[in-house]
Amino acid sequence: MINGGFLVGEALVGEEPEIAHIDLIIGSKKDAAGIAFVTSFAQPRQGHTPILAVVRPNLPAKPSTLLVPKVSIRNLEDAEKIFGPAQSAVAKAVADAVEEGIIPKAEAEELVIIVSVFIHPRGKDYQRIYRYNYAATKLALTRAMQKFPGIDTILEEKDKSIHAMIGFRMNNLKNPPYLEVALDIPDWRRVEGVVRALPRTDAIIIEAGTPLIKRYGVEVVQKIHQLRPETVVVADLKTLDTGNLEARMAGDATADVVGFSGLAPLKTMEKFIAECKKVGALSLMDTLNVQEPLEVLTKLPVKPDIIELHRAIDVEQIQNLESEWGDIKEIKQVCDNNILVAVAGGIRVDKVEKALNAGADILVVGRAITVAKDVNGAARAFLQRMGVEEVDQFRIMTDF
Amino acid sequence: MGEEEVNEEESVFHKKLKIKLKEKGKEGRILFLEDYLDYLIRDNKTIPPDFPTFVREIMGLDERRGFIHIRIWHENSELVNFAKKKDYEYKIDMYD
Repeated sequence: MINGGFLVGEALVGEEPEIAHIDLIIGSKKDAAGIAFVTSFAQPRQGHTPILAVVRPNLPAKPSTLLVPKVSIRNLEDAEKIFGPAQSAVAKAVADAVEEGIIPKAEAEELVIIVSVFIHPRGKDYQRIYRYNYAATKLALTRAMQKFPGIDTILEEKDKSIHAMIGFRMNNLKNPPYLEVALDIPDWRRVEGVVRALPRTDAIIIEAGTPLIKRYGVEVVQKIHQLRPETVVVADLKTLDTGNLEARMAGDATADVVGFSGLAPLKTMEKFIAECKKVGALSLMDTLNVQEPLEVLTKLPVKPDIIELHRAIDVEQIQNLESEWGDIKEIKQVCDNNILVAVAGGIRVDKVEKALNAGADILVVGRAITVAKDVNGAARAFLQRMGVEEVDQFRIMTDF
Repeated sequence: MGEEEVNEEESVFHKKLKIKLKEKGKEGRILFLEDYLDYLIRDNKTIPPDFPTFVREIMGLDERRGFIHIRIWHENSELVNFAKKKDYEYKIDMYD
């Protein structure tokens, strides 16, 4: 069934502090898994001594299974948990996996398993340690044999999942439309009030506007992230020079998206985009006062992730909104439909539909929300008109 | 200027956090700022970007019956959490 090489399985089961986290590999004695098994067995390290899993003393499991403690064993109390409930649970799970056909019985002698076991030093309850490690080992074996997860599952889940130890999801802006709330008010306590008042939804992006950054520095991004770790924060730097330096500064301050000006020299824009990729941020080209955004985009060998079609606050009153957007479809074509288009400047609730129909992915709204008496209500009015739903709001995590 | 004469006209949705200093005068304000920094650092919170301005503001505020009035924009602001955690006597006045 395992033709050369090895398979990998992982599972997390139970509640703290006895929670069981199992990582394992299963493979042939004749290949890499066998070499790893023997090497590990023959070279114990202090605090991480590998031991054979036994159902009971004098009855080792088959396929032969090596337990490797992930947390350093510091004393006899730690050792007892590994040598007692954890060891027997893993051995029983392996034996049951053979009985249940998860591991082919005919290959029991040919295969080896290496199981990495996590036991929290504060875990005390042997019942829970046993049951959790039994369940996690069997689940990890099943997953390994089924080659779970398939790559399509990973690609589907990577933007939806929340890691338990982090508590928030990295949002890669894969599910437009988004509402970008631009914080141009250069008054931190007022900004804090607006940030706290905004609805907590993945559909909202927060922009640290240029005036805010000029007042307090790019570190303001980090403070916004402290208040809303799960929210995408844009650092609207409007960079015109030293592209890599400014992109790096914003990346270090935890910005998810960093904005440069489409008026910058081509070299600056190229360096800016490259640096954003290095620091794991998305790059945004702001077209404020750029006469031909399409021409600029065409010249760029590597395109930005987002283009913001931007009408200046100072000219909002005198220009026609639609004419400022230009041809969004053509812009997307130039970028092989691999760019998000944001529209900014004078967006009101009654313009939402028109902007979305024109192809906009992100609506940038400032004062219509930030200076509203009811910030939350104003933001919700936009979201409702945009017809957005919380990512996976209605999914119940029961599948894995 | 008396408390009743304070100009609240600029209020849109802002609130006033009225905190009683643990000591009067300059020493009370320094103690307040020390407490605030202590709260931020111990709780691993990023220092608010307006901290230099905030220090000037606190040192310059009028004391009204032992209270200083700080403008805030949300009743769960970090300053309110600080006042709770550090056992400051406080109240929040809303104007909306």
